[in-house]
Amino acid sequence: MKSILLFLISALLGCGAARSAPSADDILAASDAIRNPGRSFSVTVTLTEFQNGKQVDTSTLTSYSRLQQQGGQYSSLVRFVLPARDAGKLMLKNGNDMWFYDPTNKASVRLSPQQRLLGQASNGDVATVNLGKDYKPALVGEEDVQDGERRTRKAYKLALTAATPDVTYASVEMWVDAENSRPIKARFFAESSRLLKTVYYRKFQTQLGAERPTESVIIDGLNPQLVTLMRFSDYAARTIPETWMQRDYLPRFQPD
Amino acid sequence: MPQYSRRSPLYPCLAAAVSLVLSVSVAHAQEDALSLESAAAEKFELSNSTKIFIEGAVGNASQRYLPDSVDTRRASVDLMYSERIGAGLRAVFSDRLDAIHPAAVGADGPVNSLREAYLSWQPDGGDNVVDFGRINLRNGPGYGYNPTDFFRDGSLRVITSADPFALRQNRIGSVMVRAQRLWNGGSFSAAYSPKLADRPSAEGWNLDLGSTNNRDRALFTLGTQISQNVNSQVLLYSQDAVSPTFGANMTALLSDAAVAHLEWTHGSEIDLLSRVLGTSTNRVTGDRFVGGVTYTTMGKTSITAEYQYNGFGLDQSGWAALGGLPTTQLAYLSEALRLQELAPRAAYLVYVTQKALWLKDLDLTAYLRVNAVDNSKLAWVELRHHWPKFDLTLQYQQNIGSADSEFGVLPDRRVMQVLGAYYF
Repeated sequence: MKSILLFLISALLGCGAARSAPSADDILAASDAIRNPGRSFSVTVTLTEFQNGKQVDTSTLTSYSRLQQQGGQYSSLVRFVLPARDAGKLMLKNGNDMWFYDPTNKASVRLSPQQRLLGQASNGDVATVNLGKDYKPALVGEEDVQDGERRTRKAYKLALTAATPDVTYASVEMWVDAENSRPIKARFFAESSRLLKTVYYRKFQTQLGAERPTESVIIDGLNPQLVTLMRFSDYAARTIPETWMQRDYLPRFQPD
Repeated sequence: MPQYSRRSPLYPCLAAAVSLVLSVSVAHAQEDALSLESAAAEKFELSNSTKIFIEGAVGNASQRYLPDSVDTRRASVDLMYSERIGAGLRAVFSDRLDAIHPAAVGADGPVNSLREAYLSWQPDGGDNVVDFGRINLRNGPGYGYNPTDFFRDGSLRVITSADPFALRQNRIGSVMVRAQRLWNGGSFSAAYSPKLADRPSAEGWNLDLGSTNNRDRALFTLGTQISQNVNSQVLLYSQDAVSPTFGANMTALLSDAAVAHLEWTHGSEIDLLSRVLGTSTNRVTGDRFVGGVTYTTMGKTSITAEYQYNGFGLDQSGWAALGGLPTTQLAYLSEALRLQELAPRAAYLVYVTQKALWLKDLDLTAYLRVNAVDNSKLAWVELRHHWPKFDLTLQYQQNIGSADSEFGVLPDRRVMQVLGAYYF
């Protein structure tokens, strides 16, 4: 009788816990809201590349991200600042409308998604993309996971599958802090299930009204010895006209 | 080395061991990655942009008409500068100085190319733009030939590379006033470039307005984003009293890895050979066309295949008729190069880039241009290694073809050069 009573109590508690657990959609939306300011903004990105633990490259770019009125996704205009050879070059991404512009030869070259993946600008996607708009999440369970500061955190593990055909990554695994909804870690996969990138989000600071990650550690899926650190600084809320996000604007772009 | 079949009792153990070693290795790599620190952020000024580099080149060209090869040398200084000088107002200046040995015909020293010097006014956050000055106005997505790039002729004072993309870096703009209106998903622009001089100048420090502003010209361009995957421009070009030329270009995303491009123009003008020889002023109606596809692999290789057509260039019979007259052939090719025009009636181009070839910072660029009329070929390969502020480049060019063909008649048979560029 006592065991039956205990079973009923634990079952009731379990049901209560299940009812109070947030849905996968809610978890992803809360995590997206931390990574993305929810408005148009600009940010300076410093990329440091490492190979076998040794720094091999560094570059700086400024990203102008515009929150689209429809779809809630970002379009972005990236201006390369450093190294000097690349200064002034621009990369535009507005959905599948992707362009590279070189002011030295005035050439606007349309890019395929695969072509864009070859460059560092694509790493910005893993930092500012609104995953909840393009992916269908499923809650896999709760796990203890190491975060970017090497602390163990209790996290929700989400499995994301592409909800639209035009996304860069076919599927994503994501760990979200169960306590504060901060994104901890994500693994990005190609359609072939090949791991493309593992990303840790860390160094949370108050930026544009919320605690946001100001650094991403991006580990290459094929060669884990290739690591890129993306540091985000100089966040600024901005009005970014939609007319900026097209090929014909690229030769006119005036940074200020 | 022992072989283990999947049926072997050792196979599951080995598979588990390999899997364990791999996961431990990946875990260690991730652990190491989390201990890394970003480089210190460098300060920069957004409102102005300055890019300066110096470049030196030494090379050798084996000759078709001379017994000995020719040594070549070049030193160049390149400057691009732009700065915001008021609300919505920006000044742009771009210049290049080349000292080339042996000097081009007519040149007696260093050649300066004032590429751009203009003011750009953008009130209202950039939806309207008015520019005035020497402007490098360029259109067209083609790789090796751009029929809709109406301001291309006479725009090169020096030729420093056979790479069509590098050639565009050196071109000088035309003095013009240009206005543009942008809206969501499109734009319209009008440009007017007046006649300011009669003929080109070979003087090194001359502005050479005779090359870029030797007639009145106007260009109207309507750009439209038809869909997320398709983008187009429709153009109307007019010069002096000549009937207008219509043009259109388009790019389309075909798949995750493939992009298509095309350009087309239609108009009436004197055919290219008659322009060179001055034998006729009769205009003929014709078309120019470029169509190509670029495919990118996961291995960082991009391959572009392009078909090029010039209805005003020499066809097979016209080219054959020039066979006995190499002087005329060279004059024809020289004028085609000056006009940035396709010399034969049709040609093919295969253009390949490979990022991180063998080494992370080593890039390969190569192309093969095939004259579809006489089957002569130009092969060009470049290996470029990047350091933070320095590029070291090796270029090799081979002109292949019979003595009376487009590439076979050129004085240079093989050209090899090493270049070093330092960026400040």
